[in-house]
Amino acid sequence: MVLFLTGHYPIVHVFCNSVDSTSTSRSDRSAHAAKTPYAMSSDNVSTSTEFSPELRVAKDVTYICPYIGALRGTLTVTNYRLFFRCMDREPAFVLDLPLGVVSRVEKIGGASSRGEVSYGLVCKDIRNLRFAHKQMEDSLRKSIFEILMKFAFPVSNGLPIFAFEYGQVYPENGWKVYDAQAEYKRQGIPNESWRITKVNDHYEVCDTYPSNLVVPVNIPDEELKRVAAFRAKGRIPVLSWIHPESQATVTRCSQPMVGVNGKRSKDDEKYLQAIMDANAQSHKLFIFDARPSVNAAANKMKGGGYESEDAYQNAELVFLDIHNIHVMRESLRKLKEVVYPNIEESHWLSNLESTHWLEHIKLILAGALRIADKVESGKTSVVVHCSDGWDRTAQLTSLAMLMLDGHYRTIRGFQVLLEKEWLSFGHRFQLRIGHGDKNHTDADRSPVFLQFIDCVWQITRQFPAAFEFNEYFLVTILDHMYSCLFGTFMCNSEQQRVKEELPKKTVSLWAYINSQLEEFTNPLYVNYSNHVLFPVVSMRHLELWVGYYIRWNPRMRPQEPVHQRYKELLAKRAELQKRVEELQRDVTNRSASSTERAGSPTRSITPVQTFV
Amino acid sequence: MQTDLKKTPQPPIKKLEAKLLPGEIVVNEVSFVRKCIGADSSHGDLWGKLICTNFKVSFITHDALPKQRFQVANRLLGEHDVPLACVEQVVTVNDAKGKQKVLCSNQKLKFNPTELILYCKDFRIIRFRFDEAGPQSAKKVCLAIAHYSQPADPQLLFGFEYIGKQYYGSLGEQVNGVDPGGGLQMPLFDRPSEWDREIKRTGAAEWRVCSINEGYVVSPSLPEYFVVPVSLADQDLKQYLCFFTAHRIPLWCWNHPNGSALVRMASISDPLQQRKLDQRICSAITKSHPQRSDVLKSDLDKNLPNIQDIQAAFVKVRQICVIEPFEESEEKWLSSMESSRWLEYVRAFLKHSAEVVYLLEGKHVSVILQEEEDRDLSCVVSSLVQLMLDPHFRSLTGFQSLVQKEWVMAGHRFLHRCNHLKKNDKEESPLFQLFLDCVWQIINQYPAAFEFTETYLTVLSDSMWIPVFSTFLFNCPQQRTENSMDFAKSKCIPMGEEKALRFPPVWDWSQQFTPKDQALFNNPMYVGKGATCVQNGTVKSFRRTKKNYSSTLRGMPSSLRNILMDGHDSLTLSRRNSLVPRLKPDFSQIREVVESPTERFFRDWVSRPADLQGMLIPQLLPSHLALWRLYFLRWVPEASIPKGGPVTAYHKLSQLADEVEKLQSQLRQYKGATPASTTTSTPSAPQSDHSRMYFKAGSTHESSSTPEYLSSSFPFSPVGNMCRRSILGTPLSKFLNGAKIWLSTETLANEAL
Repeated sequence: MVLFLTGHYPIVHVFCNSVDSTSTSRSDRSAHAAKTPYAMSSDNVSTSTEFSPELRVAKDVTYICPYIGALRGTLTVTNYRLFFRCMDREPAFVLDLPLGVVSRVEKIGGASSRGEVSYGLVCKDIRNLRFAHKQMEDSLRKSIFEILMKFAFPVSNGLPIFAFEYGQVYPENGWKVYDAQAEYKRQGIPNESWRITKVNDHYEVCDTYPSNLVVPVNIPDEELKRVAAFRAKGRIPVLSWIHPESQATVTRCSQPMVGVNGKRSKDDEKYLQAIMDANAQSHKLFIFDARPSVNAAANKMKGGGYESEDAYQNAELVFLDIHNIHVMRESLRKLKEVVYPNIEESHWLSNLESTHWLEHIKLILAGALRIADKVESGKTSVVVHCSDGWDRTAQLTSLAMLMLDGHYRTIRGFQVLLEKEWLSFGHRFQLRIGHGDKNHTDADRSPVFLQFIDCVWQITRQFPAAFEFNEYFLVTILDHMYSCLFGTFMCNSEQQRVKEELPKKTVSLWAYINSQLEEFTNPLYVNYSNHVLFPVVSMRHLELWVGYYIRWNPRMRPQEPVHQRYKELLAKRAELQKRVEELQRDVTNRSASSTERAGSPTRSITPVQTFV
Repeated sequence: MQTDLKKTPQPPIKKLEAKLLPGEIVVNEVSFVRKCIGADSSHGDLWGKLICTNFKVSFITHDALPKQRFQVANRLLGEHDVPLACVEQVVTVNDAKGKQKVLCSNQKLKFNPTELILYCKDFRIIRFRFDEAGPQSAKKVCLAIAHYSQPADPQLLFGFEYIGKQYYGSLGEQVNGVDPGGGLQMPLFDRPSEWDREIKRTGAAEWRVCSINEGYVVSPSLPEYFVVPVSLADQDLKQYLCFFTAHRIPLWCWNHPNGSALVRMASISDPLQQRKLDQRICSAITKSHPQRSDVLKSDLDKNLPNIQDIQAAFVKVRQICVIEPFEESEEKWLSSMESSRWLEYVRAFLKHSAEVVYLLEGKHVSVILQEEEDRDLSCVVSSLVQLMLDPHFRSLTGFQSLVQKEWVMAGHRFLHRCNHLKKNDKEESPLFQLFLDCVWQIINQYPAAFEFTETYLTVLSDSMWIPVFSTFLFNCPQQRTENSMDFAKSKCIPMGEEKALRFPPVWDWSQQFTPKDQALFNNPMYVGKGATCVQNGTVKSFRRTKKNYSSTLRGMPSSLRNILMDGHDSLTLSRRNSLVPRLKPDFSQIREVVESPTERFFRDWVSRPADLQGMLIPQLLPSHLALWRLYFLRWVPEASIPKGGPVTAYHKLSQLADEVEKLQSQLRQYKGATPASTTTSTPSAPQSDHSRMYFKAGSTHESSSTPEYLSSSFPFSPVGNMCRRSILGTPLSKFLNGAKIWLSTETLANEAL
């Protein structure tokens, strides 16, 4: 009997290792490395929230691996995970995935003459899994299928998401990583031009915004409400980031409700003027509309639109040509076809091109680069919006901030960035990911956040020493966005999270990550102060993130050799330093008389600062 | 810059004068020339004198580059110099008349050029303006460059004058440090003892050095000494010779520790003899195998692209990378890359080599690489196979000896493939560059497995265009001897006992670079013999044990071994017959899993942690092959990442490795020091010039932050090296407002310089 856990640290560790580059679970072949602590099979966990009365163990199931072929073994389904183990192979083949990654479960074909039945799992993490087994007398297929349907989609079945049952205790409360006031204080806010308003304390002005909002000092709360009336969903322009020297700002909002008749709002115009005035360095304001201009214009039909340059005198409007969530979803679907399970050898690059995935990545990065450049080099404040201001806008502001502010390139800083620009400003994770929801065709689903993480990865490739975190950190965030083990990515807004009492009832992903920072640290990190990153946004440098999209392919060797080697050198240095110090002590002891000696050996070496 | 090469120190140069090497003469020059620096404006352009010598196009200026970016200096060349051999195309332009002409040797030019554009073999595009220059002198210089960059005869390549000059000096003495091979700690494979040592090193007991080609009497394209099976007597070989294309009989390349041999040979020209000869050769090779294993033949011509295909791919990839306007090629970048087929060919060679590796390592059989003439594709494949199997060749000297053995001595036609004489257009083919790209792909995947860096590979390829090195000047060793003799005779150079002029091999890197700059070749991550690794937190030493180095099959169950040996995957077959087909209609994405033994072998190897001192197989998924950006994009300003690129990681690693080295040397000094002599022998700061690392630890401000001058082009600089004409004449504003140019004017202005 395979026992599962939680509440037990080593097991969690094992499970979380499933994406570890050094461990095996990263791909189907993963289970082959003996190194992984497959504590799973050991009966070391007694009690567990993971169990349910409906836990299902099915023997003699065939997993049809697209790489190795059919594997026979035991399939176990709990309320958290699917676990398949094939003992025929040496070492044993193990497949272990959280049910949260399952997007859809489908029965494949009817019962054949031989009585074999099969079903397929389409996963959010690029994989598709196929199982088959003999039709049992007790109609096992049905029951396994039903169990899967039940626990992979708890929301559709009126069950709690597993994060609410996960009881692991970590040394740190990850929900405390982000404190809006502290973050604004770090940015020097409030100051003479910007204040923190409490107008949205009860989410009354805007229910998708956080309670803490930073606005120009000279705009009273009453006016804010009138501005909210002119902005889609009440998402008024608020400060995301301020340049520590020039005071140029990045502000975000939703589209103005211009409509077909070109409606104007004096309050909104005054408000944007106030944002511009808050920056003495520039007499201009750039409005970056993330959308293609055609889409922005089309939004007028629905009451939305964009700022006319007549109404906003000193503003310059720029369209960034980034497509909407539906285009992105389609692009990822095509990408999945191209990379999973196998790559067609002859037309790899043109196939990749035809998915447009990298092209979208490029447009997003290019937009963020233009924003960062305007703020840094142009010392000009910018306003960023798309339609609602929670998808493309979040991508753009957070990427621009990542380029502009080295703090966000640390592990904790990045957590703050996600908490702030994505979670508190209402990126609708629940809708975009569809946690626990069986409605896999929901048009609200879209890989917006995945694109953002992909963009971050692209920047880390160009600046390998500028980020405190490594690739594994990014993969872990994505994996747990789907896994539903942590509460971090639950719900659609701060208001909902407060209402659901997520901080009380669930564990934050940051609690887990911060309990083993070593795993997620880039040893090459150099903390350059005030270093703005200007990545080269060109197809010449963008590449497909094989470590994420192609990680299931057993022909891919997961590795971070550069980092590994750096750590080895660090260990070597520590060992040598110790030996030199010992010898030095020896020498000093033996020749205590020669005190006139200048300089001791260790002083001749200035240790390089290390970050491990 | 070249002071080390001068016999007498020159007084500081006031006038603009060419700095000349021994044997170098000025052909023509023109003053008041403007060298274009930025792509989009004349801002920052340099004024000076343009000189054509018999070696290079030289631009001498008192002006400094407006904002100096790091550029590694070459001792043989000035900052703005281009060797004539590096000039691919000479284009003259007259703006007013709207005329443009590609100049060839001995041509007339009917207009006065206002502009000269040099398209270089190393992908640079360099532009000079003659607005203020004397029109006639400008024209003359352009014609001279066109003429001298297309020498009619190999002996007109500068290397002959350069080396010949030394013989006029004091005979037998080393002049200007030119000492071919001397002082180099590596074999050049031009003498039997070096082959003997290689036989011993690889344990090829049943192989011997053969000297029937001494004096090149039996084959002009073979080396004088090569290795053959012991069972083949000289008499036999002489008998077989005439049946092989160009008399190129089988040459031994390398022995696997399991006894399997890698052999290369030309095709058998006489079809009647084919079978008999094949049999004899194979049986001789089998006899040389301790287990008497079989011999498999790999026909390279059938399985790989030919030299024209490769040349066409190279031309296309260059077109995309450097000639086409940056933004225009951006849109269809991936499909353009694909249609160039360059990466496809790189992959084809890697894949073919990996399959040979499987035969040698997995099937324990000897392999013959067969190619029509055995002088092109074989060079690439045999070198790659050896790199994958033998860690010795991943060290710097090992790699150099590999190139020496499989390329230079094996008679790769460098003269023709490089097209040094510009009259062998059909023969031009970048086989060696393709090989370097393949090596780079493996380095990219296993960055700690090689002692050298991608900078080394890039610099090595650039050296092909400096025509003084024996390595790249000739089609075969015999040609070097013949040309040396002719040249010596015509110039009355006393050769004494020597068979050939002492051209330095490119491996004598002090010819080109200071010891400090040579440190750019050293990979701080290299896990060589005795290097340490950390496993589970404890430091361990790498030991190259016979066990983990050789067969990976030893530990496998015999059933599996049989499967591999049979060449049939019985597991796959049974699987195919049972489950999958019936499921197939339902599983649109499931394809039949038919894994070849080779694939299984690779997958099996990939599933274990890589032993960097053992066999290395590159990942061959097309998604895992990348564009070698340093090589292809280093001059492209738009593609250069300021303060970024892989070099920022290299910088950090280099400093740490340097620190480790310093500590080690400190330890050694402590151990050497007796307690009594502490006052004198107390280690002080270790001599920094002994460090192998380019970036030193603890040096002033550099210690932790990334130096400003680092960019993804490091140690090269795009400044002034990539002036595409197409951008010129486009108003700056239009350039900037283009929908896909992202940076503001301010930033661009800073970056462009």
